[in-house]
Amino acid sequence: MLRDIAKHKTQFLSIFLMAFLGVFVFAGVGGESVGLEVNSNNYYKDTNLADGWIYSANLNDDFVDKVNNLSSTTQSERQLVMDSIGNFSNDPDITLHFVENNTISKFYLMEGEELNVSDGDGVWIDKSFADAKNLKVGDNITFEFNGVEIEKEIKGIGYSPEYVYHASTSSVIPDFNKIGFAYLSYKAFPMDDVPYNVLNVKFDGSAQDYNNLLSDKLDGEYNSFVEQSEHSSVSQFSEEINQHKMMADIFPVVFILIAMLILLTTMTRIIAHQRTQIGILKANGFTNKSIIFHYMSYGFWLVLVGSILGLVVGPMTLPQLFYPSMSATYKLPSWNPVWSMDFIYVALLMIIMSLLVSYFAVRSISNENPADTIRPKSPKISSSGFVEKFGFWQKLSFNIRWNYRDAKRNKFRALMTIVGVMGCSALLVCAFGMYDGMNDLKEWEYSQINHYDSKLVIDEGTSISDIDNVASEVNGDKIMESAIEIESDNIKKSGSLLVLNDTKLITPTDYDWNKIDIADDEVSISQKMADLLGVGIGDTVKWHIMGSDKWVNTKIDKIHADPISQGFIISTEKLDDLDLNYTPTSIITEEHVGENYSSIKSTNSMKDMISSWDELTESMWLLIYILIFFASLLAVIVLYNLGLLSFTEIEREIATLKVLGFKTGALRRLLLTQNLWFTSIGFILGLPAGYYILSIMWESSGDSFYILPSISLTNFLLTAVITFALSIIVNLMFSRKIKKLDMVESLKGVE
Amino acid sequence: MSTLIEFKDVVKEYRAGDHVLRAMDNVNFTIDEGEFVVILGPSGAGKSTLLNLLGGLDSTTSGQIIVNGEHVENFNDNELTKYRAKNVGFIFQFYNLIPNLTAIENVELMKDIVDVNIDGNAVLNSVGLGSHANQFPAQLSGGEQQRVSIARAVAKQPTMLLCDEPTGALDSKTGVLILNLLQEMSNNKNTTVIIVTHNAILAEAADKVIRIKNGQIENITINENPKKVEDLEW
Repeated sequence: MLRDIAKHKTQFLSIFLMAFLGVFVFAGVGGESVGLEVNSNNYYKDTNLADGWIYSANLNDDFVDKVNNLSSTTQSERQLVMDSIGNFSNDPDITLHFVENNTISKFYLMEGEELNVSDGDGVWIDKSFADAKNLKVGDNITFEFNGVEIEKEIKGIGYSPEYVYHASTSSVIPDFNKIGFAYLSYKAFPMDDVPYNVLNVKFDGSAQDYNNLLSDKLDGEYNSFVEQSEHSSVSQFSEEINQHKMMADIFPVVFILIAMLILLTTMTRIIAHQRTQIGILKANGFTNKSIIFHYMSYGFWLVLVGSILGLVVGPMTLPQLFYPSMSATYKLPSWNPVWSMDFIYVALLMIIMSLLVSYFAVRSISNENPADTIRPKSPKISSSGFVEKFGFWQKLSFNIRWNYRDAKRNKFRALMTIVGVMGCSALLVCAFGMYDGMNDLKEWEYSQINHYDSKLVIDEGTSISDIDNVASEVNGDKIMESAIEIESDNIKKSGSLLVLNDTKLITPTDYDWNKIDIADDEVSISQKMADLLGVGIGDTVKWHIMGSDKWVNTKIDKIHADPISQGFIISTEKLDDLDLNYTPTSIITEEHVGENYSSIKSTNSMKDMISSWDELTESMWLLIYILIFFASLLAVIVLYNLGLLSFTEIEREIATLKVLGFKTGALRRLLLTQNLWFTSIGFILGLPAGYYILSIMWESSGDSFYILPSISLTNFLLTAVITFALSIIVNLMFSRKIKKLDMVESLKGVE
Repeated sequence: MSTLIEFKDVVKEYRAGDHVLRAMDNVNFTIDEGEFVVILGPSGAGKSTLLNLLGGLDSTTSGQIIVNGEHVENFNDNELTKYRAKNVGFIFQFYNLIPNLTAIENVELMKDIVDVNIDGNAVLNSVGLGSHANQFPAQLSGGEQQRVSIARAVAKQPTMLLCDEPTGALDSKTGVLILNLLQEMSNNKNTTVIIVTHNAILAEAADKVIRIKNGQIENITINENPKKVEDLEW
């Protein structure tokens, strides 16, 4: 057996490798994503993360009682959550939580003393922010809000389950130098009467039921209710986990399929080669069972060792690769890979599959009697199909006729080659499509739609005249951006509202990047939002601005497309019409603004936004390179193994042709022709498959992203070049074999 | 009749590690154009080695092989391929037809390597297989397959036909038919036919019999009046 393995070392090495990689990736990425899930769930549980948040302008005791009296409410706690500016040179945004009890969504302490709700002098701050600002327990920190300044002593540093993911409004990835959060006792609030605005609740039953109950019993007494899974931090993180899980599911399937494919072809070959030997064994009285066991053990041991190695190495290495980059964005107190029984199940499944596949390959031998097995196998019978009946068949060259019949005779092999190439080109299309999509998005969002130089985010509560002053000083246009909630036929989605005031600096476009004009009295909905809600032009939807309980109904007049922000675009006139307050949130300008204005919270230049986008997408590049690498590996392994299989089968024919006087070049062309046919078919089939996978990937990228699957001509050609180049390179490996082929030996070889 | 083939002091050695096996030891003989030659000898005597050297499948260790005035031993791979394509028609013990191609396609295959117009049907008719032209090798009996293989070999009108145990896998009755066909080729079309066999009876039908033993020529006999294959006592 060891001798056989040594003889077919390439194939067995690839079986081993694929089995290893399959389990390695599954267990590795699985360990990572399950680890994230378990870590975050434990964290949520330890800190008693709220099941839901009820927002209201004034949460008085009466309201809290009413909520507590609801049958399914198990626990509630009021907080005042408000934005403040930290007293640092860069005016960081600090979200303050004044808490009454610290029993729900508890502060997770890392250093210092536990949060004490009766301590009005202390503050417990965000560890990421503290690290960025080099703050220590015992330091003092000053916050400013609504014109009031409070100075507190840092008593503790830690995390909060509500801030696993914490992004500001101006950038997608968090910059912990600019944002943070802090927990304080309600006693720290400068007034006795704390205007609580959030009620954290824990409840039994589903969030949907609870939501219905609330709107039933307490309609009009609160602004909105957000359930746990919709909370931006929770949902962002679980989406990330899901993406990783998807990766953990897809990749191993590919590897395992290849492993099985190679196992099947290799075993078939070995059996074919050792027919005589098997026949002799049988003739000597070995039972079918013992022979089948012997051959099944080949794949079994390899897959077993590969899987075990994958099980051990995967969870040890891969999570360490992912966690550092993830912990830059997400904040969890612990990052530990977790083992799951699933890994063992998958490994077991693969071992069972390998046994089945081997059995399938070996089975044939047991059906024959020893006398037959000792004789050479009769060749598969070719047959004339209808193609040959046409006159043109006669005119085709030998090359084409031979290849056509060979493919027809070995349908399984042909199919496998095509599937292999298809997988390769699909993965390549996917990888390049992702690359193009990311670049398109950047170009679309930061050049086609938004073409200002700076965006000045206005401080909340700034007077209109102050805003106007700054706007005229920087020669800018005011815009208003608000978070909204849109409802249509019981589907509720959160989105954004953009109110434009006749500006040249933001150009709404359609999905084809063509400029569209939205008239003053029109409402335009983004394509993705329209798709999510299942609405179109002419439909009416209900929406409200977050934090206000005034719902309005609007008819949709236009559909625009935006890659990263989904919701409405309307004019100030329309906003006025709807009887909603116009409160500009930013000023955009073509000028580069360097100086600080008192009423401006932060200034973001286009360059900053683009570089923060680039930073966010950096991890995507890694994924793209991995995809390209594996696509190529897939193609080479599949083509090489099937090529080898077919080469062994036709070795005799090739030798005969060589004896008859065919030149090596002609024979090389013979094999190349077939290879190119299959590659072409696989490539053509791979394109829509890749496109389909790509569109699924973009769709699963989250509600706020809208990217159309597309691939640039250059990358399309690159896909073709890579696919065909691999195919030809693999073919060249066989050409060497043709040259070395010993005619005398192959012709004698009727063993 | 002119000399077609000449072997001069041909030596062929096979090396297996330190062990040197001399399969051809100073072999000298000539074959004339149109001769029906039988090479006889026990297993392992070097018959096949001789045929492989002559057919350009293997190269000599030393000595000269002159065919039609050309030194085959000096040919490189490319020239050997050309030599095989143009001069040599092979007939194997196990036929070695291309299983993917029908009988007629197997014959017409030769159009791809030599510049001769081949009428596949005519050639197949000449071996009595006209009615099986569109069948695949696997659908033919052994004797029929061997006839296709002869048709394939003669179609390109080679200088010589090299037959390695052409009847080895056939029953004697079919074997006689095949040998008869080969003898007719030699007599009627002046094709040089060289048959390697260990069946001594065939010697009586040959123009020239070359006996080899242990890689050396034992003797060469010339039959002035060869019998017809069909008249031999099998």
